[in-house]
Amino acid sequence: MSETNRIGVFLCHCGGNISDNVDLDKIEEKLSENEEICSIKHHENLCSLEGRNIIKDQILRENLDKVVISACSKITHGATFQKYIQPLNPYLFEMPNVREQCSWVTEDKDKSTKKALSLINSAIETVKYNEPLKKIPTKVKNSVLVIGAGISGITTANSLAKQGMEVTLIEKRPAVGGAMIQVGKVFTPDKMSEDCAACLLNPVIDEMVHNDKITLLTNTVLERSSRNAGNFDVILRKKPDYIDPEKCTSCGKCTQACPSFAPDEWNEGLNNRKAVYKPFPQAVPSTYTLDDDFCIKCGACINVCPTNAINLDAIDEIISLTVGAVVIATGHQRFDTNKRPEYGHPFYEDVLSQMQLARLMGINGPTNGHLQVPSTGKVPRRVVMIQCVGSRDQMPDGHKYCSKVCCMVALKNANLIHSHYPDTEVIICYTDIRTPGVYEKYYKYVQDNGIQLIRGRPGEIAREDDHLIVRIEDTLTHNKQEIPTDLVVLSAALESSQGTIDAAKTLGVPLTEDKFIKEKHPKMQPVSTDIEGIFVCGTAQGPKDITDSIIQANTASTKISELINGGLEVEPHIASINVKKCVLCGKCVDNCRYQALSIYQNSIRVGPIACTGCGDCIITCPQEAISIQGQSDERLEASIKGILKDKDDDEQIIIAFLDDIGNVSANNMGINRVECPSSIRIINVPFINRVKYKHIKYALTHGADGVFLGEYPDSYKHDEIRENVQVMKKHLQEDGINPERLIIHSVFIPYFRGLASQFKEFDDVLATLSS
Amino acid sequence: MDYGCVILKKLGRREMTNESEDDLAHKILKDIKAPSDLGLLRCVQCGLCTSMCPASRHSEYDAREIIKRVLDNDESIIEDEIIWNCFYCYTCHSVCPVGNSVCEVNQILRQMAIDKDVGKKQIESFMSFADSFLEEGLGIIPKEYHGQLKIDYGKHWENLQENLQEVREELGLDSMFLLPEAKESVDKTLDAIGFKKRVDSIKEVRNRK
Repeated sequence: MSETNRIGVFLCHCGGNISDNVDLDKIEEKLSENEEICSIKHHENLCSLEGRNIIKDQILRENLDKVVISACSKITHGATFQKYIQPLNPYLFEMPNVREQCSWVTEDKDKSTKKALSLINSAIETVKYNEPLKKIPTKVKNSVLVIGAGISGITTANSLAKQGMEVTLIEKRPAVGGAMIQVGKVFTPDKMSEDCAACLLNPVIDEMVHNDKITLLTNTVLERSSRNAGNFDVILRKKPDYIDPEKCTSCGKCTQACPSFAPDEWNEGLNNRKAVYKPFPQAVPSTYTLDDDFCIKCGACINVCPTNAINLDAIDEIISLTVGAVVIATGHQRFDTNKRPEYGHPFYEDVLSQMQLARLMGINGPTNGHLQVPSTGKVPRRVVMIQCVGSRDQMPDGHKYCSKVCCMVALKNANLIHSHYPDTEVIICYTDIRTPGVYEKYYKYVQDNGIQLIRGRPGEIAREDDHLIVRIEDTLTHNKQEIPTDLVVLSAALESSQGTIDAAKTLGVPLTEDKFIKEKHPKMQPVSTDIEGIFVCGTAQGPKDITDSIIQANTASTKISELINGGLEVEPHIASINVKKCVLCGKCVDNCRYQALSIYQNSIRVGPIACTGCGDCIITCPQEAISIQGQSDERLEASIKGILKDKDDDEQIIIAFLDDIGNVSANNMGINRVECPSSIRIINVPFINRVKYKHIKYALTHGADGVFLGEYPDSYKHDEIRENVQVMKKHLQEDGINPERLIIHSVFIPYFRGLASQFKEFDDVLATLSS
Repeated sequence: MDYGCVILKKLGRREMTNESEDDLAHKILKDIKAPSDLGLLRCVQCGLCTSMCPASRHSEYDAREIIKRVLDNDESIIEDEIIWNCFYCYTCHSVCPVGNSVCEVNQILRQMAIDKDVGKKQIESFMSFADSFLEEGLGIIPKEYHGQLKIDYGKHWENLQENLQEVREELGLDSMFLLPEAKESVDKTLDAIGFKKRVDSIKEVRNRK
């Protein structure tokens, strides 16, 4: 705060919007008693060019160093007036919202005038603490880590590389392609056909392999990540290269020689593979790989390898990278049907999952594409598919959500069976068929081909003689039946993969209750996460089909390009650390949900992109070493002081600290002309935790009758905030202040009428407390 | 979100179609026997319960249909004898994917039937259990069932019943009957909670035959 202030106040009429209901002459008269105010000017519309001239003229003529512009909301014209006050620094002004939060919500002109004066006084006291600040230009490293090389990860990597970024694409498994390469056939609804998945995917994989800007690392996982300013320092672990990819010629002699067997993941365990193997004939990379869980280190492979490519003593590789952004494309896994033993897994070998069926029908599958009943080797006479296994299921281990793709998967596989084996009857047991958009056409097409659909959810599968029995009620016809069948296929839910959960943990990204990656906003920011610079796409974010995964993958790469190529200019209201007070305890680093803080070379470093200026770190710091630039505790106290300055004895005043959502909600109250008690004085804070007990106590001991906290409850701090309010109420009691004078409510942007009635209710309660 | 709830209350479908929350489904949900998380209103008629239900398999009873009729507010179900086919095996309860429980809904429907009088004749034959409870303060198997139990369990069971007192003495057990003051206290309790009155009102259907 500077020693002397030369403050100018400008009062906007807003074409009558303000002046009709606020006596600005009276306000001018009152303000002129304040010696620190060097200039007071009125105007019809201060946001006009004429207004600009008046403001600029007064700043120069009166040598003003701080400015208060009483007008509308900062959201409407804050940026305008930031420009109008040049040559002053754009942060050296305040805008009391006398329109939305005063003249539009207060009927009585006297009360409205009184309230306006108090809001202007608050701004005058506040602006004294404003400091000249500059927006912070930031730039992050031109490189990206993409985790997961399924269709989503590969698509993102290709797009990023084409936009000039260096991409490291890592994949836990030995080959790329994820679920899409495994599934064999994909449906194409507008053509009413099933197409070869590999034929669609291979060009995309080729593009990735041949792009010099992409480094592909298979058998590799993310081990650690730490935020370093705008960038991420990551550590990757690559499994040992037992087989040197440079030397391996894919001759396959090692596999022939290997005596050790393991279940073949590529074929969903329907057959076995060797411990040294190639995942599937078209695998990328095409080199052989060694499964050290099953290798007995006998050396048989070494003896037969013609290029001497095998080294059983190889060790894993630790790779460290610094990247500007991270993409989580870790995909899904399928619900473990062993958790529903009533459906016969793992007891009956003729019960398959849809993916097992897909492998069985796959030309590169265990039977070379011949559909055979596992126990007999014959073509099934009948196949019954059961939908919603583990989806739409509130039972333990089940998932409440709909897995979104299973209806189409079942219809696709049913139609495939029908077209190759017309004598095989296919029945799909469903609860609802969900085929939105053009997919509905495919559903009707499959139905017309003779696939039977029974609306009912079977409870169990039993074995009788040489076949299985499915017990079901057709709920449309009331018909209870026992369907004998050779094969049962379970449509297992899509669930978050272990790789997704691990990546979230390592990167500190929150998960949804269903353990998928939580987007920043499910509607408006579907590929961003709470951590600026970390993005998500594909089924890591929730069940979705290939098309939607590709859309998200491309969206993620665009958002990264905005960040990396565009650079950012960040608002200067970020945390700043007083190095003299800081003892490097690290509490702030652990607490920051945006990962904006890190310890670097014996000091706390603040990442300007990540920091939102919420101020939550302030209360975690035992040394009181943290402040938010331009938002000091003293400044907040000054805002309160100003509001209470000219309070009359019989006047009731409530100070309402609202977060940004609450502030917009309060503006909506004005826009919709919803009456609000004139006692309400709003102070907008970035985060409710920013308001300390000392501020609340200061308000209640300096004339405020009540303190209202308005918090948008969608943060993981919500419970902590509510508990904190209880603690503060106890402190009030101890300090001899009625704790009922402090209240907290949830705020929502459209819920402005609710906010108004909460204000009214609190106003009434306080009136009875006082009398 | 708070906001959604307010709007729903104001403009809810129920209010607009002049329905209130006193339909059969809500009566069941509000019943003291209903668990607080009963998924009755979440039922999508998937039929999983029926596919597993032994009563549905061997009779006209259809577990899903019971819920359908409740949701349709079909009060005639209370008087329908079909609700007495369920024998509380709780299979439907344990398999329902939305946390509904047909057997518990059935129990409430049966209680409604008893309150409405029509159900009394269904449970009248069990009143001898109530009698033993009133007479001895114990839930022992009434004499009238002994004949069938003899057939089911054979000589061994009959011997045990005849020599029960001796067998218990040999095992060092006290008398299985309550002390007179305990019996008196149970009697008073059964009177105070209206058990006796209820038993009488159910027995009363015998006279109507």
